[in-house]
Amino acid sequence: MTNDPEKHVQTILLVEDEEEMATEILAELETRGYLVRHASIAEAADAARVGAAAVMIMDRIVFGEDSLITLEALRKEGVKVPVLVISALSSVDEKVKGLKAGGDDYLTKPFAMVELAARVEAMLRRLEDVRTTKLRVGDLEMDLIEKTVHRGDARIDLLPREFRLLEYFLRHPGRVITRAMLLQEVWQYHFSLETNVVDVHISNLRKKIDTKGLPSLIVNIRGAGFMLNAHA
Amino acid sequence: MLEFFRSSAVRVALAFVLVTTAATTAIFGLVYFQIGEANEARNRLILETEAAKSVNRSVDELKTAFEVRLTNDLRRIDYAALFDANHKFMFGNVDALPEIPVDGKSHFVAAAHVPGSVNRLEPAIFVVRERPDGTVMLLGRSLLETLAYGRIVQRALVAGLAPMLLLALGIGAYFARRSSRRLTTIHDAIARIMKGDTDLRLPIGSGRDPIDKISRDVNLMLDEIGRLLVQLKGVGDNIAHDLRSPLAVVHAQLERGLESSSDEQLRVVVKQALAHIDKATLTVAALLRLADVEYGPKSRNFQQIDLSAICADLFEFYEPLAESKSIKMTLESQSPVQILGDGDLMREAVSNLIGNAIKFTPENGAVSISVIREDGQPVVRVRDSGIGVEPGERDKIFQRFYRTSSGHRVPGSGLGLSIAAAIANVHELDLRFTDNNPGAVFEMVGRRR
Repeated sequence: MTNDPEKHVQTILLVEDEEEMATEILAELETRGYLVRHASIAEAADAARVGAAAVMIMDRIVFGEDSLITLEALRKEGVKVPVLVISALSSVDEKVKGLKAGGDDYLTKPFAMVELAARVEAMLRRLEDVRTTKLRVGDLEMDLIEKTVHRGDARIDLLPREFRLLEYFLRHPGRVITRAMLLQEVWQYHFSLETNVVDVHISNLRKKIDTKGLPSLIVNIRGAGFMLNAHA
Repeated sequence: MLEFFRSSAVRVALAFVLVTTAATTAIFGLVYFQIGEANEARNRLILETEAAKSVNRSVDELKTAFEVRLTNDLRRIDYAALFDANHKFMFGNVDALPEIPVDGKSHFVAAAHVPGSVNRLEPAIFVVRERPDGTVMLLGRSLLETLAYGRIVQRALVAGLAPMLLLALGIGAYFARRSSRRLTTIHDAIARIMKGDTDLRLPIGSGRDPIDKISRDVNLMLDEIGRLLVQLKGVGDNIAHDLRSPLAVVHAQLERGLESSSDEQLRVVVKQALAHIDKATLTVAALLRLADVEYGPKSRNFQQIDLSAICADLFEFYEPLAESKSIKMTLESQSPVQILGDGDLMREAVSNLIGNAIKFTPENGAVSISVIREDGQPVVRVRDSGIGVEPGERDKIFQRFYRTSSGHRVPGSGLGLSIAAAIANVHELDLRFTDNNPGAVFEMVGRRR
């Protein structure tokens, strides 16, 4: 997971006043090979202004202050750094507020560290998003205009929902993708499920895109979610 | 006592007494004035008519008539006398003519000598009229009776007013004491409620007066606050209850892990502990979600949403899961069913119902979803052929954390239906259960207003 060379030069800013939480986030992201700076909100804002951050993780309330105010100000100045808002405020209204203020994603406490890491990695990837008409991993190719998928020479017929699911994986190869992320990004469902529907969708997709006898393109990451094997 | 006079009821009573006194006096005065006036007018008329009638009688007739009048008819004529053309006294009970015009009209004389007395004076009305033979006739009536009548009225006024004033004061004082006593009891009740006696309610009298009305409103408000407190406590209790057991388990597991001899054993224990913590986290999230739906802002950003589209979307989402269990899932929805609502919440509620239906339906079963309007009301119905709900458990399934005895081995937080019911409620829909023989039918039906 940490063999992507560009990751090592990217700085992640962390604004979090809870010491223990900050320590855990730092540990998690540093194990994954990121450079993380634990900063005050003012320091983080200054760093973001000069473009010294690839992603900013921002606690919603820092020392009693609403950090969304700073975020809004940054957005008004035209600072485009992707921001992940983390918060103990879980209501839908609070999420909407966070996203309206300029947050790119919103994660409510308590969350699993893998979820946080996956979100951050998805954001880093978003930076690299380029307008393209074709997505490719190994011999799997997706044509976004024609809405077709080929594995090698063989054409694979996918249902629209399977196409959307695969497209999301192809846009984030080699990244851990959680079930919650899939629900949110592919189906636009903003609630948690008590069934394993997502797993069934993945398994159906695997049946269509995988080659018999070879390891699956989409692998399970225990306790976290899935990952499209970028080096297949 | 000072308190007593400060009471607004006493002030009202005093004002009431004043107004009553003024009104009564005015009425008595008016009655007195009217009756006195009418009496005097009648007397004047009688005098003038008598004078006119007597003009043509002879002097002798007159003399006899005078005597009869003055002895027998005291109530009508008090003075009668005849004078010659030179205004010299001839006969009668008045010695000299009063100084009034000789015109046959009645005139008021403030001080007339009372006949037969030496120097008693009284007010009277006189008529003086010239007869054809040149003599002058005088008739008169004492006003003493009218004055006496006035005094009677005055006495009656005083006699009537005094007890009435006392009565008004008494009634005022009674009501003042009553309302001040009621306010005191209300004050005491509020003080006790504030001290934590939250089951206490304000006393309500039998009447429909403003104090009762406000007390009733306050009681309703207290009921609502009480209900919210109970629910809040319920949420707290539920979180505590559902966290206590996983925490205890994790504690035990970690202790066991510490004593284990190999890393491998420790790893297994830690993994189990993590799984328990994850489950607890999910439960907390679900409880907070439930609280958010139930107690969230009333003024949600509601828009026109189409239940058919939402169900079609979820149908597609759940189809692979149903297929994986060889469950035949069908969707019946012909036309859009629009309601005012929150699309995300509605998707969550319907997702819970469909998820449950698939979860509790064995392989090769059937799940059908229909979105229709029945009697103008929107209906979302999810029917399954699953394990259903035992009759004894039907009223419990909407309770938090309730897991049916038969469904106990199926994973879940036990909050899905509670959340769905809360979401339905926010949309003025009722979530109901009916039996499908076998299986269950859960339906959200628009509430009739």
